Amino acid sequence: MTKSTSRWVGASLARKQDLRLVTGHGRYTDDISVPGMLHAAMLRSPHAHARIKSVDVSRARALPGVHAVLTGEDAKRYWGPLAPTIDIGMKVPTVYALATDKVYYMGEPVVAIAADTRYLAEDALEFIDVEYEVLPAVTDTEAALAPGAPLLYPEWGDNVQCAWGMSVGAVDETFARADHVFEFRLPQHRYSGASLEGRAALAHYDAYNRKLTLHCSTQAPNLVRTLVAQTFRFPEHDVQVIAPDIGGGYGNKLQADAEVIPCLLSLATGRPVKWTESRQENLLSGMQCRDYVWYLKVAVSKDGILQGLDAQVLGNVGCDGTCHAAGAGKFLVAAGYVPGPYKWHAFRVATKVAVSNKAPSGAYRGYGKDIANYPLEVAMSRMADALGLSPAEFRRRNFVGKDEFPYQQISGPVYDSGDYAQCLAKLLELVDYDEVKQRQAATQGKSAKYLGIGIASMLEPSGGAVPSCIFNSYEVATVRLMPEGGVLVLTGHQDIGQGSETTLCQVVADELGLTPDDVRVVYGDTNAVPYGLGPWSSRGATFNVSCIAEAARRLKANLFEVVANLWQCEAAGLVAADGAIVEPGGRRMTLRELGNKLHLWPGAFGVVPKHVANPFEVTHYWTSPIASWTPDELGRIRLYTTHPSGSSAIIVEVDAETGKIEVKDVAIVDDCGVIINPTIVEGQLHGGYVQGIGGALMEEFHYDERGQLWNTDLTSYLHPLATDVPDIKCDHVISPSPYTTLGTKGMGEGSTIMPCAAMVNAVEDALKPFGVRVDQLPLTPERVIRLLKTSSIWREMYEVGA
Amino acid sequence: MNEAAMKAIRVTTSVNGTSYTRAVEPRLLLSDFLRNELGLTGTHVGCEHGKCGACTVLVGGRAVRACLMFAVQAEGKSVETIEGLAAGADALHPIQRAFIDCHGLQCGFCTPGMINSTRALLAANPAPTDQEIRAGLAGNICRCTGYVNIVKAVRQAANEMRTTAAPEGVSK
Ligand code: FES
Ligand code: FES
Repeated sequence: MTKSTSRWVGASLARKQDLRLVTGHGRYTDDISVPGMLHAAMLRSPHAHARIKSVDVSRARALPGVHAVLTGEDAKRYWGPLAPTIDIGMKVPTVYALATDKVYYMGEPVVAIAADTRYLAEDALEFIDVEYEVLPAVTDTEAALAPGAPLLYPEWGDNVQCAWGMSVGAVDETFARADHVFEFRLPQHRYSGASLEGRAALAHYDAYNRKLTLHCSTQAPNLVRTLVAQTFRFPEHDVQVIAPDIGGGYGNKLQADAEVIPCLLSLATGRPVKWTESRQENLLSGMQCRDYVWYLKVAVSKDGILQGLDAQVLGNVGCDGTCHAAGAGKFLVAAGYVPGPYKWHAFRVATKVAVSNKAPSGAYRGYGKDIANYPLEVAMSRMADALGLSPAEFRRRNFVGKDEFPYQQISGPVYDSGDYAQCLAKLLELVDYDEVKQRQAATQGKSAKYLGIGIASMLEPSGGAVPSCIFNSYEVATVRLMPEGGVLVLTGHQDIGQGSETTLCQVVADELGLTPDDVRVVYGDTNAVPYGLGPWSSRGATFNVSCIAEAARRLKANLFEVVANLWQCEAAGLVAADGAIVEPGGRRMTLRELGNKLHLWPGAFGVVPKHVANPFEVTHYWTSPIASWTPDELGRIRLYTTHPSGSSAIIVEVDAETGKIEVKDVAIVDDCGVIINPTIVEGQLHGGYVQGIGGALMEEFHYDERGQLWNTDLTSYLHPLATDVPDIKCDHVISPSPYTTLGTKGMGEGSTIMPCAAMVNAVEDALKPFGVRVDQLPLTPERVIRLLKTSSIWREMYEVGA
Repeated sequence: MNEAAMKAIRVTTSVNGTSYTRAVEPRLLLSDFLRNELGLTGTHVGCEHGKCGACTVLVGGRAVRACLMFAVQAEGKSVETIEGLAAGADALHPIQRAFIDCHGLQCGFCTPGMINSTRALLAANPAPTDQEIRAGLAGNICRCTGYVNIVKAVRQAANEMRTTAAPEGVSK
């Protein structure tokens, strides 16, 4: 096969969808209206844990303009419990999308209404009477795991949704013999992606066609179709899911949870029903994430070489991390990847995932890779400090070396490629690390503003292939030659803003010698595309790009056979370039001519040789050459195919009087292998990083111990604004993956993985004169002052009256 | 249910230069009026409580949040939405061009609001510094881009709009 020329892969092409999006002609789910459409509203539980004693909907049902009012009990006529999304040795509760006997979190839907307008539907909520018997609630992770805690599912006997652990090497011995043993407790709070477009769904059950059509804002239309069909026990081939433009996902839109409620209302009324989540509903229940505590023990030799890691993570998935969404799995990923980009001799990890009376837990940018990264990267900087090494030098001494790939990590994964030390070296240069440290030394103590710099390195395992889970292990796509020579790519991969509508055209254009304008990506309709799985786990550039590049190559090979047959020459000598199939130095046939010949003049029978199966289109299935679900001799499995990596730095100025942190500078060096579109890659780095900064500084769900969520609007749940963050510098290292077709790796999560650790390291560096150790995020000014107050030096300097 | 809320009131307003008269409930939000009554779905709703800026439109040339205004308050006013900005798919406004050129959008949900805030910002300050751009857009949340390329886009648009003859008359 001839090698493809890289003309478009690597080009910063402007995105195809932008024209419609900048002119207001995008089409998001709520933009769609159909004749006869009703509007949904949901009555949600005001309590975190309560028994439902009675529900009286008679007054609501009597209202003019109200077409259906359904309780959880009513709904059982139409559906079963929510279908599980993941079950790898987990306890899967029997829960419904509308509460039946009990509510498990504040905001859980209890009654669903369909009415002529959204205004009427919301009015009608006021006419429903529910009697609750409030039960004791538990929200804190460790409290939920403690003996005697209130139980969400009494039949479980505890609040543990899953537990797992592994041990490799002589752990106890390593710790007994170590020169240094460091211990850390590092928690992280609960926050989420909170995309600007919340969830939205327009369901239409057509009884005369026995077909359910669901337009919804999802990252994974095929997965939603499966889950909806399973929840309703409805034939899946009679369900069509259409995902139009998506207003952000970040992992939060990977389930069929409340989306089944408009389906229910449509089944009950026979009319199309639209539900558009309000911001309050989104914050109450639109999938939350993070929320865990790590206990880490690290053994280090006196020359700064890591020896052993003994780690335990306690995760909090709220009321459930299996059916509402696949949140529980991220803590298993976290356990597998806590060794990070470093080498170890001994490793032990245990994970325990608790349910509690908070909203359900789903995926969010990182899916456990972030959870793995945070404690170790904070620990690395603190240990470097204790050992008298620079944080970069300590990391360098322990990185997997660039010549050691493929590298068998102690916890199971095989790292494909990388140059972690070079990423870090480039970062120090990009951010002018030494200059910052000099400036810090020169300015420290001269004012209340303390300068600090923190770094964090990361791994972004990409393309997870998780057994017994919707996050499965293959990708399938079709590349089709049209009669006029253009190409359609049909894929289950959803563009949710990451630009695959454009980047996939770049890939196919190179393979077939076309321009991206000759290619259109069709996605977002389960009845048009093969059963591909969607963008999650940064899998696009690992699974989907490989799948589509190979499909295009196979199509090209078939077309070469046809042309060779027509010209009576060798297919092996042909190339595809400039919109044509070319015999070097000789004949040329444009794809348009060829498409015409195949389809029409004279048609396939006249031009296709017998041994060519299908020159019109190729549907190709791609799976990982390296993932393995068969445990090795140590019981380890390999779920991820590529391992993008990177390092980043944050420079802060912390005001010791007010506790306010100003982010002065951010720099990222990323290695996602071969880059398809540099501008899009940098956009992902910027956006992901700022989301992480939000998590580090301001985003937090405030649950009290009764399970009341106090901040359900954007004035109390804060996001970074343009004034909160600086410009961001980016640079790249390119280590192609040997396991993907084009050497690409995933990207999109890595930049969100690093900021929390980098921020903590920066703040601790800035406040080193006070010996501050961050014990909680986000670092609001109040928290920073609380930390400073523990320092006698600070109290002497700043406390009024001290 | 509030009976008064149900009684329709006539409202006449000009949207993107076309005059519309509709009978609406007094409680109907301008954002819902534009989206559902007029089918102008380019105005997005991200919070419905005035914080995210996705619904930003121009009313009388000033940037306002359509979710914080009732449709009846637009009586006699001139409203400009994102749909009115370009004369056609091949006639983009420099701000729209710049958002594309600079990759100032990802999911695009914040984009119409961002662009309308930018129109108001550049009308008031045709040569903003980066800091002024950030301050001018601090009422618009973007969850995707980290703002870096949005600032870049506004900078490009400002430069272009200063060097070409005033392409549109956003009044101050
Ligand atoms: S929708 Fe109007 S400000 Fe958010
Ligand atoms: S582009 Fe997605 S919110 Fe701004």
